[in-house]
Amino acid sequence: MKASFPRRFSALTDIVTMTEAFFAGEGLDASLRPATDLCLEELFVNMVTYNTETKEPITIELQRHGQGIRAALTDRDVDRFDPRKVAPVDVELPLEQREPGGLGLYLVFKVADAVHYEYRERTSRITFTIEGKHD
Amino acid sequence: MFEIGTDEAGHVRISGRLDAAKAPRAQTFLDRQDGPCVINLGGLEYISSAGLGVLLRTHKRLMANGEGIRLVGVGPHLRDIFSYSGFDRLFDIETAADG
Repeated sequence: MKASFPRRFSALTDIVTMTEAFFAGEGLDASLRPATDLCLEELFVNMVTYNTETKEPITIELQRHGQGIRAALTDRDVDRFDPRKVAPVDVELPLEQREPGGLGLYLVFKVADAVHYEYRERTSRITFTIEGKHD
Repeated sequence: MFEIGTDEAGHVRISGRLDAAKAPRAQTFLDRQDGPCVINLGGLEYISSAGLGVLLRTHKRLMANGEGIRLVGVGPHLRDIFSYSGFDRLFDIETAADG
């Protein structure tokens, strides 16, 4: 399943609708939905927030991966931004030193089983995998 | 679907999906809260980092007066997210199983 979404947060509702339809169509374990939704939102929001020089829509592809799911987000006409190279958030800090923000990509790497990044011809493609329970 | 309001016990009740699109509405509501604040998350199906930011920002503001947020009715998915993000050490959390 593949679709493109405008670069605005309100598109998250349509992304959830797409994911819901994909899970239903593939008969995938619903317990994988929260992690899938979280990764899709955090990566989409990151692209919308930081890749502000482009007006191109962001393309999302969902594929079955055994009993799990593999998803790819493609962002065109953007600079390189490898999420794997972002410094991790220190979640051990006390309240007075914690600040909102920075948790999104950190959570992606916590809940996804694999995250890959490709950059070619000013196009970023981030792929993540959520394994099924029996994979 | 996303809903935020105050129940008959005076607790804030958040339900549905608290994502980046809904976070500003949640922040506006919570910015009006004063004193100790109990938030019932029993109906909250999903939270992202944007929602966590709303809770953290509000908690820090209220803690400046020695108050803060107590989270109740926290389900399994939220419990995992709170654990990953270190929020289980920052907030007083009562899980759904705790009643």
